[in-house]
Amino acid sequence: MKLRRRTLVAGCTLAMAIVAGALGGTTAASPGASGGTVVFGAEQEPPCLNGVLAGCNNTWTSWTVGISFPGLYEILPNGDLRPDLIDGEAKFTKKPFTVTYKIKQNANWSDGKPVTAQDVIFTLQTILNPKNDVAGRAGYEDIARARAINPKTLKLSFRKPYAAWKLLFGGQFGVLPKHALQGKDFNEVWNTNVNSQTTGKPIGSGPFILESYTKGQSMTMVRNPRFYGKRPQIDKLVFRFITNTDSEIQAIKGGEVDAIYPQPQLQLGDLRRTGGLKVLSSAGATYEHIDFNAGKKGFALARAPWFRQAFAYSIDRTALTKQLFGTLKPDLQPLQSLTYQNTQKQYQPHFGQYTYNPTKAGQIMTSKGCAKGGDGIFVCNGVRASVKYGTTAGNRLRELSQEIVQAQAKKSGIEVTIDNSPSRIFFPQVSNEDYQLALFAWVGSGDPSGITDIYSCGGESNWMGYCSKKVTDLLKAADQELDPAARVKLVNQAGKIMGLNVPSIPLYQKPTFLVYKSKLQGLADNPTSGGPLWNVENWSVSG
Amino acid sequence: MFTFILRRLLYSIPVLFAASFLIFVSVSAVGNPLSELRLNPLISEQTLQNIAERKHLDDPIPVRYVYWLKEAVTDKFGTPLFVQTPIWDDLTRVIPHTLQLVIVAELLALLIGILIGVYSAIRQYSVFDYTATMASFLGFAMPVFWLALMLQILFTELFLRTGTRVFYTSGLNSVDNTCTFCVDRAQHLAIPVMTLAVLSIAQYSRYMRASMLEVINSDYIRTARAKGLSEPKVTVRHALRNALIPVVTVSAINFGVLIGGAVITETIFGLDGMGPYFINNLQSQDVYPVMAWLMITATMIIIFNLIADITYGFLDPRIRYE
Repeated sequence: MKLRRRTLVAGCTLAMAIVAGALGGTTAASPGASGGTVVFGAEQEPPCLNGVLAGCNNTWTSWTVGISFPGLYEILPNGDLRPDLIDGEAKFTKKPFTVTYKIKQNANWSDGKPVTAQDVIFTLQTILNPKNDVAGRAGYEDIARARAINPKTLKLSFRKPYAAWKLLFGGQFGVLPKHALQGKDFNEVWNTNVNSQTTGKPIGSGPFILESYTKGQSMTMVRNPRFYGKRPQIDKLVFRFITNTDSEIQAIKGGEVDAIYPQPQLQLGDLRRTGGLKVLSSAGATYEHIDFNAGKKGFALARAPWFRQAFAYSIDRTALTKQLFGTLKPDLQPLQSLTYQNTQKQYQPHFGQYTYNPTKAGQIMTSKGCAKGGDGIFVCNGVRASVKYGTTAGNRLRELSQEIVQAQAKKSGIEVTIDNSPSRIFFPQVSNEDYQLALFAWVGSGDPSGITDIYSCGGESNWMGYCSKKVTDLLKAADQELDPAARVKLVNQAGKIMGLNVPSIPLYQKPTFLVYKSKLQGLADNPTSGGPLWNVENWSVSG
Repeated sequence: MFTFILRRLLYSIPVLFAASFLIFVSVSAVGNPLSELRLNPLISEQTLQNIAERKHLDDPIPVRYVYWLKEAVTDKFGTPLFVQTPIWDDLTRVIPHTLQLVIVAELLALLIGILIGVYSAIRQYSVFDYTATMASFLGFAMPVFWLALMLQILFTELFLRTGTRVFYTSGLNSVDNTCTFCVDRAQHLAIPVMTLAVLSIAQYSRYMRASMLEVINSDYIRTARAKGLSEPKVTVRHALRNALIPVVTVSAINFGVLIGGAVITETIFGLDGMGPYFINNLQSQDVYPVMAWLMITATMIIIFNLIADITYGFLDPRIRYE
């Protein structure tokens, strides 16, 4: 009976809405026009709010609630790191390797307590506690000792030099409040709120703190009056979770949200032509690449660098990039490096020589004793140049890219057979080195420390069977080189060798799109892990 | 009647047990749920071990099944693999959202579908009948995702051209509004309801037309007319009641299945219901919420089948329960 009554009520309200709408009675106020509220359409909902934990750690956790917890350094759109919670650059000694940070005097938690060196030490202890299911411990494990020199000064002593030290306690969820979390089971805090475990009130040190969270629907953040940086101009920031890109696009067109940061979709082209909207686009941190498997289960010819070079010459990466993103981001260039991205000043085009040249590809093959068969495909020492090319099934952009590569390679006498599988099968295959040619993406952090695992001999994420002692030595030396300029030199030397060895072919950086209403000001895309909210304190609403 | 219901409920227990075992084995057979996390070089082995220990992932499947069953019964399905939020909290949040959508859509579809079906049957081979037949085939053929997008575009354009917000295109509520039974919620649910109802209207109208045609040509209807009963009375009291039985069967199964979530509709419109709950957990390979979802759906299908059986008795006095 109760259900029947509720159904009736629901039916009646629906009818009322139709009538009200038809009479023009319910024109919703534009969300951003209320003098300082911005409604942001988020494409994913955080699985839970404790972004330090592995299960909650995704980009949208960082970009939403993560802005409450700035780190010691923040990552800028060009990949550089800038002091955030600390006063100027940290000071370091090389032998022994120590780093001394001075936390900003005016850095306070939203409850009025100061952010101190003890908070950083607590964060370190939390990350290193084996009982906590944290997302990453890399680099933190190298810290031998953390000492508070005074409440605002912290000294870290390392067991060995760690070149990427600026990434530690950086980005979002950088420093945790000791007084608000101490004594609690870290795996069980901040599932659906980000409150102090002692007062039950929202806590944070960033420009906004979480006021309320309606799981599955939205998250409301309000200005933190005690933020140490520039006072945020907007009062409220609401994240509405709209996981379907088409719906996101309709929502911004129809004024239901003020800004979105969607995955690249052809429909985004329409938004560039829609009045009252602005679209910012950058080459993002996620880059697609083709890996050759030179290992035992790989393709025999792919073990020879000359074949990989010939393959690189047979792909027109410029045309490929144009074909995929010509409408959305006409100025997107192919990526020419496996070490840095072309938005970084350290970037050097190590793969620049591989312009589309089927003749050169053919010459290389012929010079190695290969001869074309009746079907136009090369045969080298009895091995047909026919390679299986896999990626994650259902990803339309990747599938389209495969078809283009297939057609291009055929012109150079290399047969490419598409062999895709769902991601749950594809990735285990790749990590077990059970593939021939694989197309997938890496997410760059801006710092080259991650590439050592990918390209060094026996690296944890080296699934290509690629091993160059020179590259390994250079990358390992770079990981311990504390002089930034010398480090860039080492990484680029390794990159240059990889440009000749071609263990993998970089294709392009996936573009990012920040779409927002023209009345919003101060937005700037940060295509790195910093994300679209990196400068939210500078946002304002006009009119 | 009471004995019948009790007996059916008792039969449901072994059915649910069998379903739970099949669900657990088939989901577990897909592979190690930690395999994707293992690919992330940033996630330490220690963290993976902690999760494996907590969920007994290193034990054989039958042992894991017992642990899972115990957790499902004593701790309302426990927690997911990767996070510590209780599964039951999430389920009790999303089920009412789905119920609200499905009940409104199905009732609307039943009402319109039955009316169209009855009128088509009475006016067989009329212009209305041909039009309704064509429209229902169109409804059957229309992909849900396409219709959803078209409706979104239509109402967005309507808003842009008139400045009047009739319906919202996504979400359950506007910002700062959490009401469940209000105009705002109705404005948000209207397009998803339309999307879901179109297919069901097509389905119910066809069933109703066929069933009604069979009934109105039967002997007892001729007798009713011969007795001098008015045509509306013959149609509503004698023909409609009996003709409803196949529609009740189909709608009961539909209800049961849709409680599991109108996956496409809910996902497209960003409704926090059972559908997105299932899809999101499936994508993140969190098997525990997926298994809980499957159990809830199985239970709902059993319950709605029982409801259909009971309804037959009310519609057709010849059906008796023993």
